[in-house]
Formats: sequence, C-alpha cells, structure tokens
Amino acid sequence: MYRTKDGEELFIIDGHIAAWDASKENRLNDYGLQFIDCFYDYHQISPEDYIWPRDKFYKYDANTLVNDVILNGYADMAIFQPVYLNEFYKNGFANFDVSDELLKKYPDRFIFNITTDPRLEERGLEEMEAMAKKYNPKGLKLYTADWYKDSKGYKLSDPWSKRYLEKCKELGIKNIHIHKGPTVRPLNRDAFDVADVDDAASFFPELNFIVEHVGLPRLEDFCWIAKQDKNIYGGLSVAIAFIHQRPRYFAEIISELLYWLGEDRITFGSDYAIWDPKWIIEKFVDFEIPADILKETGVTFDMNVKRKILADNIAKLYDIDIDAKREKLKHCNLTSKAVTTPLRV
Amino acid sequence: MNKEQQVYEMLNKVYDPELDQPLTDLDFIDRTVITNDEVEVVFRLPTYWCSPNFAFIMAEDIRKYVSELNWVKKVKVRLIDHCASDEINQGVTNGRKFSDSFGNEAGGNLEEVRKTFEIKAFYGRQEKLIKHLLELGFSKETIRTLTMEELNKVELLEEGLDLKRRYLEKKMKLPESLYAFPTPEGELLTQEEFDAYLLNLKRTRLSMEFNGQYCRGLLEARYQLPSNKKSVKVQSL
Repeated sequence: MYRTKDGEELFIIDGHIAAWDASKENRLNDYGLQFIDCFYDYHQISPEDYIWPRDKFYKYDANTLVNDVILNGYADMAIFQPVYLNEFYKNGFANFDVSDELLKKYPDRFIFNITTDPRLEERGLEEMEAMAKKYNPKGLKLYTADWYKDSKGYKLSDPWSKRYLEKCKELGIKNIHIHKGPTVRPLNRDAFDVADVDDAASFFPELNFIVEHVGLPRLEDFCWIAKQDKNIYGGLSVAIAFIHQRPRYFAEIISELLYWLGEDRITFGSDYAIWDPKWIIEKFVDFEIPADILKETGVTFDMNVKRKILADNIAKLYDIDIDAKREKLKHCNLTSKAVTTPLRV
Repeated sequence: MNKEQQVYEMLNKVYDPELDQPLTDLDFIDRTVITNDEVEVVFRLPTYWCSPNFAFIMAEDIRKYVSELNWVKKVKVRLIDHCASDEINQGVTNGRKFSDSFGNEAGGNLEEVRKTFEIKAFYGRQEKLIKHLLELGFSKETIRTLTMEELNKVELLEEGLDLKRRYLEKKMKLPESLYAFPTPEGELLTQEEFDAYLLNLKRTRLSMEFNGQYCRGLLEARYQLPSNKKSVKVQSL
C-alpha cells in the first residue's frame, strides 16, 4: 500500500519478483558466477543507498524478501517468476524453498507462477501437470534464453512450445510471462527478435502474453506486435529501473508504450532482487512526463493511469478483486508489523 | 599521425550494429598493442552475455578496417570477458567465417543480421535529418517529395550537414532513388502513409538510443567507469 501526497491509498501488485540462490555452493560453473555478476551490474543503477553487498545479492532469505517487497516495498501482493538455469546452478537459480515458505506463510500476499522448458518435451509436460496440482497457477514464466544441453535458447514458435501452450490452456494457465533475453541461438539471427511472440499470440488468442522488460532491447518491434495483438502486455520490469539514472529515457519509453499499447496493457514489476521496489514505486508515483514528450505523443500519464499500471491491469489478468483483497489483508499480520518495526536491514 | 592514432582513426569507423554508434565513443576499445607491423586490438562489451553475432560483426569490422592501413601486416582481435571470447577471437583473427567459428550452433552467416541493422540505422539517421528539416520550417509534404537534387541545394549549418552526411552514408548502400526520403526499398511514400512511417522511424531511433544508454550504463558498472563520461546528446523528441 502506498499513500500518495494527497492521501490516496494505492494498492500495489509487484508483477515480477524472484527468490534466487546464486551462492557459491549452488553454482555449477563459471557461467553461474557470470550470470549473477551480470545481474549485479544491473543492480548498480539503483540509488546509492539501495546497493547491496555482493554476498547478500548472491543469496537472500525469506525474511529479507518480505521486508524489501511487502513491508518496505509497498507491495500488497507480489508474483514470483522463477527460472531454472539448470546448466549453471545445481538446484536451479530459483530458490523454491524461499518461495514455498512464503506461499505457505502468506497465501494472500504471494502468487507463484510455475516455470518449464519446452525442450524437456514429454517429461516437461508431466512436470507441468504436477506443478499445476501443487500450485494451482494462473501464470507461467518462460525464460527463452535458458540453456539446455547444446541448445542456447528456444522460441515460442517451436513445435514443442506450441504443445506446451496448448497444455497451459488445458490447465487453466492463461498468463504467459516471457523474458525476451539474449538468446544466443540461432546465432546467425537477431536473437532478440520478438516475432515468435507475435506468432504465439495470434495462435492462442485465449492466452495473455506478458512480455517482460517490454521487449528491450527491441522496444520498437515489441510496440509493433503489441499494437496488433490485443493479448500482448508489456511488463515494465527493467525498463522502470531507469527512472532513477535516465529519467528522460524512461519518460520516452512510457510515453511510447502508452501510445502504442494504451493504459490497460502495461504492468508493473520491480524485478526484485535486482532492484528494490521501494525507490522505484516512490519515483514512479511522483513521475511526470516532460511536456515536450507529452505533446509529441498526446498521451495521458496521471494518477489514474499509474494506478492501472501498479495494480489494476495485472489484477484483471489474475482475477484479483482489489477491494475484497484490501479488506482481507487488513487482518494480515504483515501489515501491522509495517507500522511498528524498524525495517531497513 | 603516429601509428596508434592511425589505428584509432580506423576504429572510429567500426560501429556497434545495434546502436549505430562507433566503438570508440562507446568505450568498447580497451586498448591497442602495436608491435612493428602487427596490431592487436583488445575490446570489451557491457555484459558477458552480449549477443555473439553482434560481437562477431564488430570483431570482423575491426579486423577489416585496421587491415586497410598499408603498414599493417597482421591484425589480432581480442574480445575479453565474454562467453564466446574463444570462438570469436580465433575465428576473426584467422579470417574465418562466423559459421565456421561456431560450427553447428551458427547455421548460416551474418549477412541477414547485418542487413536488418543497416536498415535500422538508415531509419534512425533518416529520422534525425527529417526532424532537423521540420525544425527549420520545412513542411512534411515538402520533405516527403523532396528530391536528392533539392536536398543538396538546401543550405544547412554544421549540425545539419553532419546529419545529412550520416544519413546519405546509409542511403547510398540501399537501392537508388531520386527522392531524398524514400523507404529503404527506394520507394516514394504516399501522403497517407507518411505519418505512420514517421512514427515508425521515431520508434526505431528511440529504441536504438535507449539501448545505447542501457549499454553505456552497464559498461560503466562493469568496469567501474566514471558515469556519463561520454554521454550522448539526448535527442528531444
């Protein structure tokens, strides 16, 4: 819950958080170290007060996450978006122990999206079914840049990907979060190309495709496909972190997104623990698009739009009734704790 | 000019295909080592995971341009701190093609990628020049139908001349057109198409500029460089 200067209480859903374990003990090889160190470089664009020591960044526990995301970070609810990276980490990158612990303790606060990999073929479909039984998920996270044996990535247009999406339909998983990252294969093509999302979104109009990081670094291609397929959404994680060091660029991005996608298809995500949601939300709520940019695109970026981005849009995707949830969360022990405990660790 | 300056002069011509900015401006050149007629160019990228295909293109271009110096007999290219350093360094230094350097993983060469990004660079540069002309008071309609001959008669100051030179450098490589601002295929746009086309140009230019900021930020973090050392001029929209 974030209280604005005018006293309005904004309900907040952080659509993209992670619990990870990139500790030395869990790393399989140098790739595991390089992967988390790259995240740590991204982390450096945070305001100075929010920079973690490297060791804390490698692995953090459930309490740290609750403090940063819910108690300090203003989020009323948050969605886990786990990834495997099994070629880099012994037990995978996602720290399922932490997310399981939090889901059990605070079932009204946390949502868990399952993850899979279409290159697992039949086995993966079975695993998906088992996970669906355990978590009853409405969303699935796909990390198309993950390595698997000799393969360095996959596309949503691959035949097995389609079978997996078919399975999602069957299991009632309607929100597909895709990270379009640096897939390095096939190497000769533009690895960031988002055309496969276009393909999948047209093929599965009943599913929603939330492209995390709004397709960066292919913002222009992303805007283009999102304009055409109304079941494509832009997840603001990563892009929103530029609000601190490169505010003008953030202004340009958000104004383009509002122009091409409209205010109903943009969702907030902090990408915790790369960035702490607290400062992002504070800056986002206060943010104004400079007049010259507003004039160019003619978009509106007021509190109503911000409220949609911070909660309403993703609430619709996950069938969350915000008013009912607000009521229910009044009795959650985490809320009262927020008032009494000094929280920065 | 001493040898090192000559090498850097050539490196100014090597561009990151995705950002359409020279490696020298981006701080991607770590150092050069010159021993008689041999040159070693050491370069670095913002992350360990940057796309190997772009890295390969940059490495190839480093080799190509530095080899143009008549005293240079051998060019060794060394990309450091990257997941595909070995393949790229050995491949490019020995003049091998991309597909030979990566074996099964490559499945083809990089011509298509090069072409895609040549066109994006064309869009980006075209947009900047058009915007400049709009600011000078030209109407959209005049710009749409302007011929090359007319463009060359437009009196421009230093900034405009620079934008024009950069734009024509890319235009030259595409199918010839009598018109100054055609599509990459060389076709004149209709009045109805022109607004949407301009929005598309802007989106492409914006994306490239944003990625440029992104890459600079990451490189600064990775190598602890002073922030905004060479910050690019932020284009107002």
